[in-house]
Amino acid sequence: MTISLLAYLLIPLFSAVLIQFVSRNKENLADIIGNITLFAGLLNISYLIFNPVNFKLSFSNIAQDGFTLLMIFMIYLVAFSVSLFSTGFLTKEKNRHHFHSLILVSVSAMCGIVTAGDFFTLYIFVEALAVASFALIAFDDNEKGIEAAIKYFLLTFPASIFILLGMAILLFTTSTFNFAGLQNIVAGGYLSSPIMSGVILILLGFLIKSGVFPFHTWVLDAYQGAYSPVSAFLAGTITKIAGVYAVIKIAMIFKFFDLKLYKISETLMFIGAASILFGAIAAMRQKDFKRMLAYSSISQIGYIIIACGLATPLAILGAIFHMFNHAAFKTVLFLNGASLEKSLNTTNMEKMGGLEHSMPWTSWSSVIALMSTAGIPPLSGFWSKLLIIVALWEGGAKGYSVTAIGAGIITLAYFMVMQRKVFFGKITDAAKKAEEMPALMLAPVMILCAVIIMSGILFPYCYNYLIETITRTIL
Amino acid sequence: MNIILIPIFLPLIMAFLILFISEKTKYIKELTAIVTTLIALMASIAMFGGALEFSLPWAGYGADFKLKTDNLNIVILTASSFFSFLIAVYSFGFMRKKTASTKWFNFNLLITQAFSAGAILSDNLLLLLFFWEGLLIFLYAFIALSNENRNSKATAMKAFIINAATDLCLVLGIAITGYLAGTLNMSEINASGKLTMHGWAIGGYLLLMIAAISKTGAMPFHTWIPDAGKNSNVNFMAYIPAAMDKILGVYFLIRISVYLYQLNGGMQIMLMTIGAATLLFAVMMALVQTDYKKLLSYHAVSQAGYMILGIGTLHPIGIAGGLFHMLNNAIYKSCLFLTAGSVERQTKTTDIRKLGGLIKNMPLTGLFFIIAALSISGVAPFSGFFSKELIYKGTLLTGHKVFFFIAVIGSILTLASFLKLGHAVFFGKRPETLKETQEAPFSMLAPMLALAGLCAAFGFGAKLPVKFFLEPSLTFLSLEHTLPLSGFHFDKLFFISVIAALIALISHILGYKTFSKPSKASDHIHHAPGLKQIYSMAEHKFFDIYEQAMSFTPLLGKCLMAADNFFDFLTDRLPSLVINSLSKISQKFHTGSYPLYMALTIIGFALYMVFVLGGTK
Amino acid sequence: MTYHLTLFVIVIILAVIAVMAKNMLFSAIALALVSIGVSLILFTFGSPWAAVFELSVCAGLITVLFISAISLIQKEEKFLNESRIRFMLLPLALIIAAIASWIYIVPFFESLSKYPHLNIHNYPLGQIIWKNRVFDLIGQICILAAGVFAIKSIFPRPVRDTRAKDLLKGAEKVNNK
Repeated sequence: MTISLLAYLLIPLFSAVLIQFVSRNKENLADIIGNITLFAGLLNISYLIFNPVNFKLSFSNIAQDGFTLLMIFMIYLVAFSVSLFSTGFLTKEKNRHHFHSLILVSVSAMCGIVTAGDFFTLYIFVEALAVASFALIAFDDNEKGIEAAIKYFLLTFPASIFILLGMAILLFTTSTFNFAGLQNIVAGGYLSSPIMSGVILILLGFLIKSGVFPFHTWVLDAYQGAYSPVSAFLAGTITKIAGVYAVIKIAMIFKFFDLKLYKISETLMFIGAASILFGAIAAMRQKDFKRMLAYSSISQIGYIIIACGLATPLAILGAIFHMFNHAAFKTVLFLNGASLEKSLNTTNMEKMGGLEHSMPWTSWSSVIALMSTAGIPPLSGFWSKLLIIVALWEGGAKGYSVTAIGAGIITLAYFMVMQRKVFFGKITDAAKKAEEMPALMLAPVMILCAVIIMSGILFPYCYNYLIETITRTIL
Repeated sequence: MNIILIPIFLPLIMAFLILFISEKTKYIKELTAIVTTLIALMASIAMFGGALEFSLPWAGYGADFKLKTDNLNIVILTASSFFSFLIAVYSFGFMRKKTASTKWFNFNLLITQAFSAGAILSDNLLLLLFFWEGLLIFLYAFIALSNENRNSKATAMKAFIINAATDLCLVLGIAITGYLAGTLNMSEINASGKLTMHGWAIGGYLLLMIAAISKTGAMPFHTWIPDAGKNSNVNFMAYIPAAMDKILGVYFLIRISVYLYQLNGGMQIMLMTIGAATLLFAVMMALVQTDYKKLLSYHAVSQAGYMILGIGTLHPIGIAGGLFHMLNNAIYKSCLFLTAGSVERQTKTTDIRKLGGLIKNMPLTGLFFIIAALSISGVAPFSGFFSKELIYKGTLLTGHKVFFFIAVIGSILTLASFLKLGHAVFFGKRPETLKETQEAPFSMLAPMLALAGLCAAFGFGAKLPVKFFLEPSLTFLSLEHTLPLSGFHFDKLFFISVIAALIALISHILGYKTFSKPSKASDHIHHAPGLKQIYSMAEHKFFDIYEQAMSFTPLLGKCLMAADNFFDFLTDRLPSLVINSLSKISQKFHTGSYPLYMALTIIGFALYMVFVLGGTK
Repeated sequence: MTYHLTLFVIVIILAVIAVMAKNMLFSAIALALVSIGVSLILFTFGSPWAAVFELSVCAGLITVLFISAISLIQKEEKFLNESRIRFMLLPLALIIAAIASWIYIVPFFESLSKYPHLNIHNYPLGQIIWKNRVFDLIGQICILAAGVFAIKSIFPRPVRDTRAKDLLKGAEKVNNK
């Protein structure tokens, strides 16, 4: 008996619609329905993943592979965290039911993306996600949010053109969008240059959606301007699922180290390295907390892209694990950014300082996330970066490997600067008045921190899981 | 308990005991020092002739606590103990008026005695190094505590730095020697064959030699001695630069040049050059001094030149001369410093322009001065003549006559300067203020008497020192020679010394007539064309490597600071600067302008297409 | 062929008008006309299902939503009276893009059609697009739901003046940049 994952899509969608009808005048009900839906989903997917019976069967009893399971887990984890956090964060006059509906719809769309079996389905869900995230970004009242939303929309719409064009070419040449079918074609050695031009265009579309270096411009304003919990959602999952997931999927299907695709491989690796360096360097001088995190996100996505460019099994493992880790620590950071914003009424780092005294939980959870981002053992970020760097070295891309290490140092540097500015050092006037967040808002951050620490400490198990479930689909 | 340990450990223990004696007690400290040094001296004499050994595993890795006596170092040890004893006696009188530093003076004296004895007796090079470095520390303490003014501290620092630099050479030299020989015990090195001059051995020898000659106070490491002469007391000057340092330096120079290394012609020339240059320049400086102690200090340097010259000949006669001269020098130079101390104590000044006619008030001091001065100038029956004669002979036997001439010129100038000094201090017109001057007390006269007596005893054919000291040492060093070392020889050398004495006298009279003041008797040389400029440069400390180095220190510091800043910039500022400037550039491209963003994105598409499609066709 | 071409040209012109129009209502109507044109094109290419969806969803449902939303903020129309000359560059750019694609993209696709298809299951094109697409329906529902929620969230029923002003200010700022 195989277990279908369709429920992860349908239940949030149903809840989203339900909220609209049930809780029109009872906003608290929206909170309850949204959180319960997501929490139930999280429990369910955790049961699926951590059930030893399933593990023993190598997840062959499940319709999709381990990659999808991990992604669904990640989506629910982040979505639940954001939703729980927003319950405390949202002010009274906000339309909570719209917010929760949008979150649930985007969860549904993201689950659709990760369970999709072909490019066309994937594309449809990506578009659904784009619409939902557009509304989420603009959820805030101020003009910054609207500007961010418009930028997000306008600067990512070329992606749709490229994806559609690429799919058309694929259809012409292979008569299929199906991942399995494409994998057969690759395995059969039928790759031809028109197929590849289709793949290249689709890849370009998803690269734009992931916000890597030359196409990163929307990321900054969207992350900075978006409604604060939405920034966390956006950085944690939406961008990853809408863009990076597809890039990884393409890398898994088309093995870029094939002779005819080495150029794509090199381009991807170059883009990845450029993103890593650019993001890290540009983050150095940022004064705004959220904008700096946005640059950091660009840099971290660079690691995933560089691994996709290499596309060896180890690199793909590293990329997937890094994506998961990135979702965890970036969500923590953005949620804490939102806490700071709520507490200090600003995201300018110059006005912060010595927050460890007034907001100890927020500060220390941020420090953990920052250390994981910078790749300090034994936190999870270290292992994924290590996997990627080792894969690059073994794959012969030693220059890129060194670049990745060097950028890791810069990352450490700017996070050090930031930690000193924000959490330690002299207490500013604004920081003195700051108050710690209520437990409801700290809980999701703590959960994510626990995930960061646990997946770092229990890395051997994570590695085993990844090996067991994902290499099966790659090879 | 082994007798060999007494000269080392007895003074050491007593030195620390002295520190516990109250300042208020009057004679206990002095008496303790005198008794201790006397016992040490007696122990040294008791060890004569025998070959005692004391060995104890120490730090491991070849660093044993190994003491050994032989015919060379027992002579040296006896001499050094003797001087310690004399100075202890002398200070009994001299230091009475300056109670402030008696405690420390006696402490330093005993410690120096202990460490010198250790350095002399130790067979192991590392042990020697340990004692040698210990001496350095107490040298600083000695100078710094000898006077209460600030200058003595500066001089102490100068002495410390110069000696520390050369001691560093000693460390390296010992390391190289030990590495080459495979052992650090000197007797074993000698037994297994001396090191010959090639490869690393040259460097090793040179480093050790620098340490040795800087200890003797040769140029260019001499500069702290005249300063100390001015800024510290005579006990110290008579004890350390005049006696102990010469003894140790020459001892070590002989050890390395004859006992450990087999030198070649190049080294010989080099050593002789250093010796000749030192004796000539130092004596020229001495000639023009107007301070009693400073003049003597320059002579202390100059005499070191003779010793190095003698040893540098590498001829048995020359080496014997160098060793003999070292003993003589210690005797008469100590004696001279002690007379200076007496004069200073009684007249409160050492400026020879303010002194004169003291022979009437201090006849004994004057007599001792005359004997010692004649001895140092190499006038016939006294000891200095015989040691210089040996050195001249050794120099002539090497065939390099130029060194001989320089040595003779040095001798002339030495006599000239002592004529000037003696004339200015003990003869000539007595200033009114000095009429009431008293003779020095007995405790100060006694050591001077002993030393002057030794000057005479070692003279008159020099049979005594040759028999007891020189011959055993030479035999021990297995230096064969055919010429007799003792006795008068009315050969050319004797007449040359007479001529030299006469020239000096003529020069003195000439100067005295010209400037009509004994203290200016050397001014015709001082103001001679050509020399005047050199003197002026020397007076401005142009030849003083320490002062030169110190004047360069700020510059060097600046250079180092600049270098440091540069590396700091490379490692610290540059990366952040580059990253920050890149970051700034990227900020310029992220203004939030939609068209700019769109343009960037479109450029991105184009580049992507160019990259990717470039290779797929 | 001329019929197709005319339809294409009309659709493109209408699309440009939809973007360039000063009046939002006019813009929405132009968008609806674009959808009608597209559905006509789809009919002629033999995809009636697609045409019907296009007509009903895009031309029908979305236009209704747009018009209802626009009617709510009609009063604030006077805010948008800036110079639009530089936006005339858009049609020019489009013309350039069209000519370029005419020259490059059309021959490229023609060359593709000559290419031996890797038609593994050998289904006809229509079947590939329209059969086995049950899963996509959920996606469509998602899009619809997201669209509805988006509009409801951005344009809430009790229109507050500040909100509209903010929205327009944001739009203006984007335009000015």
